[in-house]
Amino acid sequence: MSAAEETIRPKEISETKSKPILDRAVEFLSSVRFGVVLLCVLVALSMIGMLIIQQNVQGFDSYYASLTPAEKTVFGALGFFDIYHSWYYNFLLLVLSLNIVLASIDRFPGAWSFVSKPKLDASRKWLLGQKQSAVVEVTETKNEEVIAESVAQAFKKNGFSTKISEKRGNLFVYGESGKWNRLGAYIVHVFLLILFLGHFIALQTGFDADVRLTPDSNPSQQEQAQAPKVTDQIQLIQFNLDKQERYNVQLPFTITCTEIEQKLIDRNGSIEINNTLDWRTQIKIDDPEYGSTVADVSLNKPFEYRGYRFFQASAITIGSASEMTLDVIPQTEGAQPLTVNIKRNGETNLPDGTKIKHEMFLPDFSMQGNQLTTRSADFNNPVAVLSVTPPNGQTERVFAFANKLPDNAPINAPKAGYRWRMASFEKSPIAHVLSIKYDPFDAAFIAWYIGGFGLIGALAFVFFVSHRRVWALIDGEKNEIVLGGNTNRNQFGFEDKFNKIVSALDPNFVPQTEE
Amino acid sequence: MQEVQNLQDGVIIKEKSAKVSNPTGWQSYLPVILAIVGSFLMLGLRMEIGAKFISDGALMMVALAAYILAALFQLTNLYAPSEMARKIALWSAALGVFFNLSSWLVRWVAAYEREIGMLRAGGNPETPWFFRYIPFANLYDLSIAFAFGAGFATLLFAHRKNFQVLTAFTLPLAALILTLARFIGGEFIDLPPVLDSYWRPIHVGVASLSYGVALVCFAIAVMYLIKDKIKIESLAIFSSLFAVIVFGTISKFSVFTEFTYRIGTFLPNPTAGGKPFSSPFRLEIPYVGAVLAFAGILLLGVVVSFLIYLYQNNEGAKKAGHILLKLAFVVQIIAIAFYVSGVKAESNALAEIKSQYAADPIQYVIAGRAIAEKQQMSATEFAALTPAQLEQGAKNYLDQRGDSLFLNIKTNPVEFSGLLTALAGTFFVMLFSFRTEKLRERLPSLQSLDGLMYKTASLAFAGLAMLLITGAIWANESWGRPWGFDSKETAALIAWLTYAAFLHTRISRGWSGRSSAYFAIVGFLLVIFTYLGVSYLLPGLHSYA
Repeated sequence: MSAAEETIRPKEISETKSKPILDRAVEFLSSVRFGVVLLCVLVALSMIGMLIIQQNVQGFDSYYASLTPAEKTVFGALGFFDIYHSWYYNFLLLVLSLNIVLASIDRFPGAWSFVSKPKLDASRKWLLGQKQSAVVEVTETKNEEVIAESVAQAFKKNGFSTKISEKRGNLFVYGESGKWNRLGAYIVHVFLLILFLGHFIALQTGFDADVRLTPDSNPSQQEQAQAPKVTDQIQLIQFNLDKQERYNVQLPFTITCTEIEQKLIDRNGSIEINNTLDWRTQIKIDDPEYGSTVADVSLNKPFEYRGYRFFQASAITIGSASEMTLDVIPQTEGAQPLTVNIKRNGETNLPDGTKIKHEMFLPDFSMQGNQLTTRSADFNNPVAVLSVTPPNGQTERVFAFANKLPDNAPINAPKAGYRWRMASFEKSPIAHVLSIKYDPFDAAFIAWYIGGFGLIGALAFVFFVSHRRVWALIDGEKNEIVLGGNTNRNQFGFEDKFNKIVSALDPNFVPQTEE
Repeated sequence: MQEVQNLQDGVIIKEKSAKVSNPTGWQSYLPVILAIVGSFLMLGLRMEIGAKFISDGALMMVALAAYILAALFQLTNLYAPSEMARKIALWSAALGVFFNLSSWLVRWVAAYEREIGMLRAGGNPETPWFFRYIPFANLYDLSIAFAFGAGFATLLFAHRKNFQVLTAFTLPLAALILTLARFIGGEFIDLPPVLDSYWRPIHVGVASLSYGVALVCFAIAVMYLIKDKIKIESLAIFSSLFAVIVFGTISKFSVFTEFTYRIGTFLPNPTAGGKPFSSPFRLEIPYVGAVLAFAGILLLGVVVSFLIYLYQNNEGAKKAGHILLKLAFVVQIIAIAFYVSGVKAESNALAEIKSQYAADPIQYVIAGRAIAEKQQMSATEFAALTPAQLEQGAKNYLDQRGDSLFLNIKTNPVEFSGLLTALAGTFFVMLFSFRTEKLRERLPSLQSLDGLMYKTASLAFAGLAMLLITGAIWANESWGRPWGFDSKETAALIAWLTYAAFLHTRISRGWSGRSSAYFAIVGFLLVIFTYLGVSYLLPGLHSYA
């Protein structure tokens, strides 16, 4: 056997061990590729939810009625009518969150190395391979340290922090800016996860409800408005396909509506939404634990109390009045007419001691038998119904109409020694609807303010800042400075910066332009 | 290579520099600076002069003209390089942005004066805060702002000389948006009270700027594909399919099914200067449907021919495709001409409706259904309505209000703008197929375009994130529901997720270039769906927008 052959030994075949299944699963779950697939699936499901009307959207009931039985069955079974709350949608969000966490953990060490172990030196070949590079020949020099210092100054003037190092007999100048940008993506994901988690907690621990309230003390007005003045219950709405189910939720306190107001654009116009500047509801909260609180709730100005946020939602547009001005004409000859103001539920006195108490307001007066009612919600024939008690006399019901009625009309006859007319009134709806959001842990605030603003800030940091690095190899043997640089973002801005560095070394430097 | 004596520290430096792009200073931002500053001067003038000043609508039309002029000159510069054409294009673009923003600012003042007038006339001494009137109340306002966002972003990126060609691609799209705005109509609406929040300018302002950046990203993607030597015939296939889809879906799908096109009708608004109301009756415009159907068939022919060319390298098919494309372009123009002349010629909408519906009574049922849907019936009540009841309901409506019905180009702004966009798509594909190699030479390098595409996609992504978050916070402050998967919220989320996928594919798969370009195009189409499709096609909270 020859010596050569003696040295030839068969190579041992090594068996490549396959990774444990758990490792492979984690690797798969943490891959960005898988994350992109999840995003695409999320997009597809969201599109389905957009194109198939969801059960909590107005118009769902007529849409649902127009579907064939097969569509109802299939869409219903697949959960398409409430897809965003379906188990698979939530599961997808959970897996996506997990993917974000695992991918971040997987990639973080690489990103951290940019911060903790910067690349201070590089070979000439590597430098010339960068997107921005230049070779500067040095024809006369004092010493390499001086050149390195010049280069470092040029770097510093352009916003880079510098380090001078030596390797293999060469001096290197390293400059960088924005190194923390390498961690920007992780900061983005942290805030995104805060947003997801906060919103999830808010959904699980809170609920939405609403309540109708009227400031009117009169039971018939409350009946007409279908709204109480005082309540300790709110109505939670749950959607079940084309049915809306309402459940009463007990509050730990009582709400009393003390006044409602509607600011109108045209005070002589209607109380419809297109003539409205704002609605305001004044409520009084009586809490056995914390006492009484008075609060105003108006549009875009909610009121928060013990985890309950009260929002001005809408109004029941049956006409009413929050304040009335009455012309009171005495029947005594020579006496001067009087003008008095009276608020809703309020009382006032005339100079002679006659007491006037507000009973109710009807926008379009009508009588059905003995029952006072309104023909419509509009101010067609408005009347203030008052209880008037003259001194030493009996209480009488008085109707003060806004429209001029004939003097001999029985309903317009003088009462308690006066003829009554409503000169003007401040229009108001009969009741308001407040929507209530219960969020005991302020999770929505954490999600959207902290998570949301944090996400915006982090995105701004990621996209408006970049990690820029420049190197200069000072080669004493070849009498040259080899410059190279790269950035992880904003290549054009970095090009300009690099050119400025070279220009700082040579004011006559003229960059080539791309035509 | 330059050799220069540099006395600094006794170092003499010669250098050879590698690849660089245009150096820039603050002077390169002069067009955009002057446009913005000038707009605020216009605002000052408007506040000084008052209602006699040029109207916001007129300023918008001048902006539209300036954008078109800029695009024309830049296209001229692309095909026949001329420094003068380049400069005219740049400064026309700046003028366009100036007039666009001026229109928006002047509208703000006009809205303020209008409502103050109404308040005083109604005896209300209150003076609401100025931000209540910021023009972000309806789709018209958003369209003006969107076009401004696109123009502004274009000017910003065009500060580099080699990117000034962007104006040839972005400004025609901005002009289309202003055209849509023109057809939507600039009548002021009464602001829904819930929108009177400081979040509205923030949220909608971010939306318009983000949409504008997304538009620029889309234009860069198209430029990239052209530079990357994608066959123009491939672009023609996409633009033709887009046009066919537009034709197929407008007029409630009747173009290809019935060869008819029906336009909506208006009822006048009793408030002077108020926006007319849409009526449930649609009137057939003669010849439009048939001509559009013919154009659709020609475009399908274009698709088939070019597919054969692409897959079998059949030059005959290519030639046939180009002939069909030119024919389709002419036929589309004819269809639009019939549309406009048909609307203008119609003087008695009621008589025409009765005549048409007598021959096609099912139209009464369709109109009756639209009337019933607005009557807040329960699902059971609605389902119980018979065709005869629906027909009678429609006839009753006509008897009561039919005399007031009228036609106007503005009744179907989205459909008409869709037709114009389809026409523009056909035109540009024809243009790109002319001296394509010359065009490719004049475009920036692939590397530059890819870098800019990434940059604009990142900005669009960040902008859409801000849009979503500010919207959620506003919703949380106004009605306690930060996220309810409303159609517009979801559409914006989908667009944002698409850009997120785009950015992450660059990280994970190193996708750049063509793949990124396709993503950018899809992302922008989703943005357009968010901006327009949701408001007109889907119900929800944002339908007023």
